[in-house]
Amino acid sequence: MLIEATALRKFFSLSGGRQVHAVDEVSLGIAEHEVVGLVGESGSGKTTFGKTLIGLHDKSGGEVRYRGELLPARYGAADFRKQASEIQMIFQDPYGSLNPRMTIFEIIAEGLAIREGRSLAALRDKVVYWLERVGLHADHLSRYPHEFSGGQRQRVGIARALIVEPKLLICDEPISALDVSVQAQVVQLLGELQASMGLSMLFIAHDLSMVRYVSNRMAVMYLGSLIELGPAEDLYFRPLHPYTQLLIASNPEPDPEHERQRQDQLISGEIPSPVDLKAHCRFAGRCPKAEARCFEERPALREVLPGRLVACHLL
Amino acid sequence: MSKQSFQLSAADFAPAPPATHAERIVRPSLSYWQDAWLRLKKNRRALSSLYLVIALLLFTLLGPWFWTQDYTLQDLDMISQGPSWGSAALVVEDPGAWEGVRGDALPLPQGQELGATTQLTVEGAATTQYVRLYWNAVPGAQHYLIYRNDHAPDSGQDLGLPLGETLRPEELSFADRLQLRPQTYWYTVIASDGLTEAASGTTLAVTTERAITTTQARERGLEATVGASVQLPAHPFGTDYLGRDVLARIMEGARVSLFIGIVAPLLFIAIGIVYGGICGYFGGTLDIVLMRIADFVIALPFLLFMILFRIGFGIGPGESGIFPMLLALVLLSWPSSARLVRGQILQIRGEAYVQAARMLGARSLYLIFRHLVPNVMGPILVTLTFAIPMAIFTEAFLSFIGMGVSPPTPSWGAMSNEGIRTMLSSPHELLFPAFFISLTVLAFNLLGDGLRDALDSRLRSRE
Amino acid sequence: MMTHDYALQVDNLAVEFDTYGGVVQAVRDVSFKLRKGKTLAIVGESGCGKSVTVQSLMGLIPMPPGRITRGSARLGNDELIGIAPAALNAIRGKRIGMIFQDPMSALNPTMTIGRQIAETLVVHRGLSASAARAEVIELLRLTQISQPEKRLDQYPFEFSGGMLQRAMIALSIACKPEVLIADEPTTALDVTIQAQILLLLQELQSSHGLSIILITHDLGVVARMAHDVAVMYAGQVVESGLVDDIFYRSAHPYTLGLRAAMPSNDPRKRQLQIIPGSPPDLFAPPPGCGFADRCAQAMRVCRDTPPPAYGHTHQARCWLQDPLAPASPVTSLMVNNKAD
Repeated sequence: MLIEATALRKFFSLSGGRQVHAVDEVSLGIAEHEVVGLVGESGSGKTTFGKTLIGLHDKSGGEVRYRGELLPARYGAADFRKQASEIQMIFQDPYGSLNPRMTIFEIIAEGLAIREGRSLAALRDKVVYWLERVGLHADHLSRYPHEFSGGQRQRVGIARALIVEPKLLICDEPISALDVSVQAQVVQLLGELQASMGLSMLFIAHDLSMVRYVSNRMAVMYLGSLIELGPAEDLYFRPLHPYTQLLIASNPEPDPEHERQRQDQLISGEIPSPVDLKAHCRFAGRCPKAEARCFEERPALREVLPGRLVACHLL
Repeated sequence: MSKQSFQLSAADFAPAPPATHAERIVRPSLSYWQDAWLRLKKNRRALSSLYLVIALLLFTLLGPWFWTQDYTLQDLDMISQGPSWGSAALVVEDPGAWEGVRGDALPLPQGQELGATTQLTVEGAATTQYVRLYWNAVPGAQHYLIYRNDHAPDSGQDLGLPLGETLRPEELSFADRLQLRPQTYWYTVIASDGLTEAASGTTLAVTTERAITTTQARERGLEATVGASVQLPAHPFGTDYLGRDVLARIMEGARVSLFIGIVAPLLFIAIGIVYGGICGYFGGTLDIVLMRIADFVIALPFLLFMILFRIGFGIGPGESGIFPMLLALVLLSWPSSARLVRGQILQIRGEAYVQAARMLGARSLYLIFRHLVPNVMGPILVTLTFAIPMAIFTEAFLSFIGMGVSPPTPSWGAMSNEGIRTMLSSPHELLFPAFFISLTVLAFNLLGDGLRDALDSRLRSRE
Repeated sequence: MMTHDYALQVDNLAVEFDTYGGVVQAVRDVSFKLRKGKTLAIVGESGCGKSVTVQSLMGLIPMPPGRITRGSARLGNDELIGIAPAALNAIRGKRIGMIFQDPMSALNPTMTIGRQIAETLVVHRGLSASAARAEVIELLRLTQISQPEKRLDQYPFEFSGGMLQRAMIALSIACKPEVLIADEPTTALDVTIQAQILLLLQELQSSHGLSIILITHDLGVVARMAHDVAVMYAGQVVESGLVDDIFYRSAHPYTLGLRAAMPSNDPRKRQLQIIPGSPPDLFAPPPGCGFADRCAQAMRVCRDTPPPAYGHTHQARCWLQDPLAPASPVTSLMVNNKAD
């Protein structure tokens, strides 16, 4: 494994001593050249997991190893500097992820300018190369982020992260704020870059349908817990956990005939708040198949079929 | 529409060459500040207030180059004059001592009452320097009473200002030098026998001409020949109670007002940026402690500290204290801007682009100066624009109540204070400084409003 | 069909915005018809003018810088374009309900949900305060908000995203409108919640006979909800027709491209086909077809002449529908049945 989290925990403290169990003992590794899709609804802790993994949040428990080396629980500026050439990230919000006062050139060149301390002018050729590699054009260099569409901005964010040629790229919901047609562009671009650069990727998203096109493996999170993990196609077409099944079934299919024949499978209610969780199955409250034991004991993630890990008592 | 297709040929339906550049951006490129400037330009109210602010600054800084009158020069002949565009004046001799006109005291014939004065005459030219009157003796008069009025007296009771009385019966003349203006006066001289006044007097209308003495002419570098006509300086805003030019004093006073108004906010916002920046960037316990200190400072009463600083600096009542005023403003006003900056930094620190820069290995100083500070400059500029009128008004208020700048140094507040005493007789002394205070405060406030709208990033989008 | 079969009929609408350096032609000659009791989906990417179209009907675009330069919109028999703002205000909320992508910004954060809905009932339907309260509870129950008696007195921040959207729907149908405009109602929601909200809208449509305009960029939502579809691109409707026409007989390359770019549950669809490039900036729309620069089938005529609308009930603005055009992947409409 290139990077491996073991029983990673991230709790946020609230007033009154209560705690938000944002990430609760999640173990997940990413091998070299592998793309892992991490899927969950809002409040599932998927973004917190990604940020805790690479040091943007302090860890509350557990450990993360990168190439076998233990990463610090709390990051300082020096730690980020050390890992800058190895791990990079692209962000969800294409509006907030680019400094509105900087030109596209300054934004993309930032990583090299920080690392090598070279003047910006010397970096121009390389920036143009990356700009064109993400499908933009050299005459965009002097423009400002607000002049671009969401998809174009997201591509600028990709160029900024990849210009330092990292080995691992964390994609934090890079497509959630985009139109479906633009999502496909970004997914395809990331897929191409991953293949040509031999990147490892953690691709965080809130639904599985798009992620399956880029992922080798997929992981599903619910309320801070990892509930299912397996090869992408296998997991998508044969989901085992009741939540994964409902999540996939909820997604509308662009096929009117199929939709007209749909048997409505709705999950009632919404994802509960992850404050002071008790030790039971996180999904028990909404699960149509829940039994008494689901409310008593938290199921462990275990291999139920070769390569398929599920946290459910019923399997 | 079907007609169109008839005009087309098969060649039109041949495949088109591949598109060159499907990501073209056709709109003109605008940076944040260019965009804000365009928005500001569209806001007519803000733009005119910007011009007004520039005009006020030019007025203050360049005004004295063009308006060269000395703001300290007192001209007791020109006290509390209304606005005027200058006037010609006659040069006359220094008044010196006038020996006057003497006659014989005439005894009062038996059974007669005191009669009216006769032959009331002006000696020489009547000027604003002096009006010299003499008259014929009235039989039985022990002395004479001299009155002056602004209009023709319509009865014996309406003689106007009693100017004085002669002391001896032989004295048959009087020199009036009391605040003469170029206008027509009605002088009345009434004889008195020491106990009763004559039932009637003689009234003479005298029109005075503006004049200055040779000495005064020499002092002002004018031609000092008696009988010459010279041009006196204009006073477009009139003169104050010491005959000083109000325009020159407004210009000079603006320096104090704008100095305090601009330097104090610059200083306390600079402190606020550093202090708030440290709190927002480092956070944690340091933030909590520093912000409690700021809360404490906010709770301190400004006026009390102003008084304490004056005492501390050994400045007594009636003395000027620009520095303690600056100090009090700076030391007690920074917490609000520190709070603002802290809030902004806290917000921006969580933005994805700051996290991206951290991931790229950016050091604290780089983050602060490359990402945080440029993004808080907008709100800071707006705060600064609103802080300026506040400081100007505070200065004016303090000087007005005598806690700031004191005479002879002019400041708009101090001038208002001086002007309020003569508010009824010569309102221009209050109105001009008050007008300038209001205009400046209004202009900066409108500009701040416009800037806030122009810099509001929520309004910026592609569509 | 006769006019009275349509709840809303929009003809040749054009909307412009003044910006620095020029004019953005956000909506260029848009026409569509909303059948009574049916759902019309307006599909397109951000910036294609789909939201501006409905906002301009409702008088919700700021003027200036915006202005409606042309067109008409009839709600039943009443014209909406060019009437006084007060008259439009009376129609909005009463005869047309609206729900938005972000319900939080459409609700007043300092008022309880119950009061906001009750206020509409009192103003538009003249109900008394106590009658309004009973009606609000009924509406919240209708939109499947649990414990409506308790929820009534809560503030928007106490609601989750899905609940807030339900409350917004309750507010928008409070005055029994003829038309409900839903502008990306589920874009900000998770898929499981999206499924709940879409089902709720379908149920309300069948129980209340609502005519719905659904604005979305997601063809999956369209397939689930729509009876009729208008595909918008670069400020124009490029294809319109029944939902099956659009999905199974796509007559415009853009619709084909959108469909190919959608992820699918179909295991055979192993690759996403993307539409390269970005839509043109309507600050300077291209002289010909707006899609020509991104279209694999682009012909010479596409670059410099805007295509007419071909077809009748199923229409497409594409030169590939012309009898002179070569064979292409798009479904050919009956060319002798041209629109006039």
